[in-house]
Amino acid sequence: MTAVEENTLVTDTPTALAEPEAPQTPSAAAAAGAMIVFESVQKTYDPNVVALEAASFVIEKGEFVFLVGPSGSGKSTLIRLLLKEIEPSTGRIIVGGRDLGRLPRRKVPQLRRNIGCVFQDFKLLSDRTASENVAYALKVQGESRNSIRRKVPEVLGLVGLSHKSNSFPDELSGGEQQRVSIARAFVNHPPLLVCDEPTGNLDPDTSVEIMQLLYRINRSGTTILMATHDREMVDKMRRRVIALEDGRIARDERRGGYVSE
Amino acid sequence: MLGEAVRSIGANISTTVAATMTVLIGMFLLGLVIAFATYARSWSDDVKAGLVVKVFHDRDATPQQVNAVRVLIEKDRRVDKNRIEFVSAEEGLDQMRRERPDLFKTDLPYNPLGPAWTVYPTQAEYVDEIAAALGAGTKASPYPSGVHQVTYGAEKAKRILKVANIINAIFGIAVLVLLSAAAILIANTIRLSIFARRREIEVMKLVGATNWFVRGPFMLEGLICGLAGSLLAVILLFVSKEAALPSLLPRLTSDPDVQALGFGLNALILLGLGLLLGAAGSGLTLRRFLQV
Repeated sequence: MTAVEENTLVTDTPTALAEPEAPQTPSAAAAAGAMIVFESVQKTYDPNVVALEAASFVIEKGEFVFLVGPSGSGKSTLIRLLLKEIEPSTGRIIVGGRDLGRLPRRKVPQLRRNIGCVFQDFKLLSDRTASENVAYALKVQGESRNSIRRKVPEVLGLVGLSHKSNSFPDELSGGEQQRVSIARAFVNHPPLLVCDEPTGNLDPDTSVEIMQLLYRINRSGTTILMATHDREMVDKMRRRVIALEDGRIARDERRGGYVSE
Repeated sequence: MLGEAVRSIGANISTTVAATMTVLIGMFLLGLVIAFATYARSWSDDVKAGLVVKVFHDRDATPQQVNAVRVLIEKDRRVDKNRIEFVSAEEGLDQMRRERPDLFKTDLPYNPLGPAWTVYPTQAEYVDEIAAALGAGTKASPYPSGVHQVTYGAEKAKRILKVANIINAIFGIAVLVLLSAAAILIANTIRLSIFARRREIEVMKLVGATNWFVRGPFMLEGLICGLAGSLLAVILLFVSKEAALPSLLPRLTSDPDVQALGFGLNALILLGLGLLLGAAGSGLTLRRFLQV
C-alpha cells in the first residue's frame, strides 16, 4: 500500500464532490455554472501550428482533473488559455461563469486572483522569505496588513511550513518550495487551482506529500486541474483524466488511468 | 509602492548603481554641452545683431526722395520696424567727427554727407535681401533716386552668418546626440535590470498584480535613479564650474550681452530630464515584459 493510500486521501470520494452522472454539453454546462467550459477551442500559432484543436469539455466545481499527454500535446497551451495569457484562435472559454473572450485585458488580474497557479519550477521570488512570498499574493489585491498577518501563518500552517516562514527559497528543499508555492496559490482560497507539473521536479515521496496536500485542498471544495506526466500518481488516484494528443482531446474518462485501458 | 521600490533598489544595488552612474555621465555631458552651446549661440546672436543695412543719400537728396526711401524701408517685412534709424547729414558729420577725428584737422568748407538710414533686419539672415531690395549688388535695379550707396558689409556679413550657423549646427547636433545617447544608455541599463527581473514580473502578473502595481515600483526606482544621477551631475557641474571659470573668464568676451544659459536653469533642465528619462525609461521598457 502506498503512502497516498495509507492516508486514505485518494480512495474516498467526498459525497459533496460527487461527479456528474452524464457529461454535459458545454453550452448547458455554462448555463449550469460549471467551473471551466471549453467550447470548440482552437489555438493556432504562426505559421499554422495547431496547438489545440476543437477542444470541448466541462469541469464542474469541486472536481479533481488530471490533464495528461506527451510533451507538445497542448497541455501548457490549455493552461495558458485558462489564465488568458494567450487568446484562442476560435471557440469559447468560460471560467467561473466568465466568458474569457469578453473579458477586457484590464480585468485579467481579477481573473488570475481567482485562479491559484502552481508550477513545476515553483516560481517563487528568491529575495523574499516563504511568508513574504505568500503575502505577496495578498498584497497585490490590496489586502490590509492585519489581514495579511492573519492569513499567511494560517496557510503556512496548512501546508506544514509554519517553522520555515522566515526561510528564503534557496534554504528550502524542493518539496518545501512547492508547498510554499501551493500556499501562495491557495492563500486567497481561489475556487480553482491550476497545477502545471507540480511534482515534476520532486522525488516520489515528496510527490506523494504534495498530492496529499492538493487532495486536501480539493476536499475543501477547490476545483483542481493538474497537468502531469506522473503516470503512477494518475493511475493510483483514479480521478477524471483528460488526455491530449497532438492538440486534440483523445480521451476524457471519469475515473481514468494515465493511458487508455 | 515606495516600500517595494526601496526594497527593489536594495536587492538590485549593482544595477541601481549602474543606472545612476549612466544618468550621471549622460546628464553631466549634456550639462556641459548646454552651457557651451548656449554661450556660443549667445555670442553668434550678439555678432549677428551687429549686422545692419546702411542707406546713404546723395548730399542734395530732396526731402521727397528721403521720404520715398523711408516708405520703401518701412514697407519691407524683413525690416525690424522699431529699429529704423534716420541719421541726418549733421548727425552723420558729428558721428564721423567723433569716430575719425584725424579727418577733421582742417575745417570742411561744407558738409559732404547726405542723410542716411541704418536699418536693422528682423533676422540677421535678411540683410542681403533688404539691401538687394534697395538696389545693392544688382545692376538691374539701380538705387532709388537720391540714394548713392547701400551697404551691408556683404563679405563680413556672409562670413559671420556662416560661422554662426556652423556653431549652432554643431552644438545643436551635439545636444541631440548626447540626449539620444543618454536616453539609449539609460533605457538599456534599465532594460538589463528589468530583464534580470523578468521572472519576478512574470510571478507578479500570475498572482494577479495589475500592470500599474508591477510598473509603479519600477518607475519609482527609475525616478529615484534619475533624480540621484542628475543631482550628482549638477553637483559635479557646479564644482567644475567653480574650478574652471576663474581661468576661463579672462579668455572669454567681456561683452555683457554674451551669456551662457544660467546655471540654475541648466540644473533644472538636467534634473527634469533625469527624472523623465528614469521614469519613462523604466515605464516604457516594462511594457514588453508586462505582456504576460
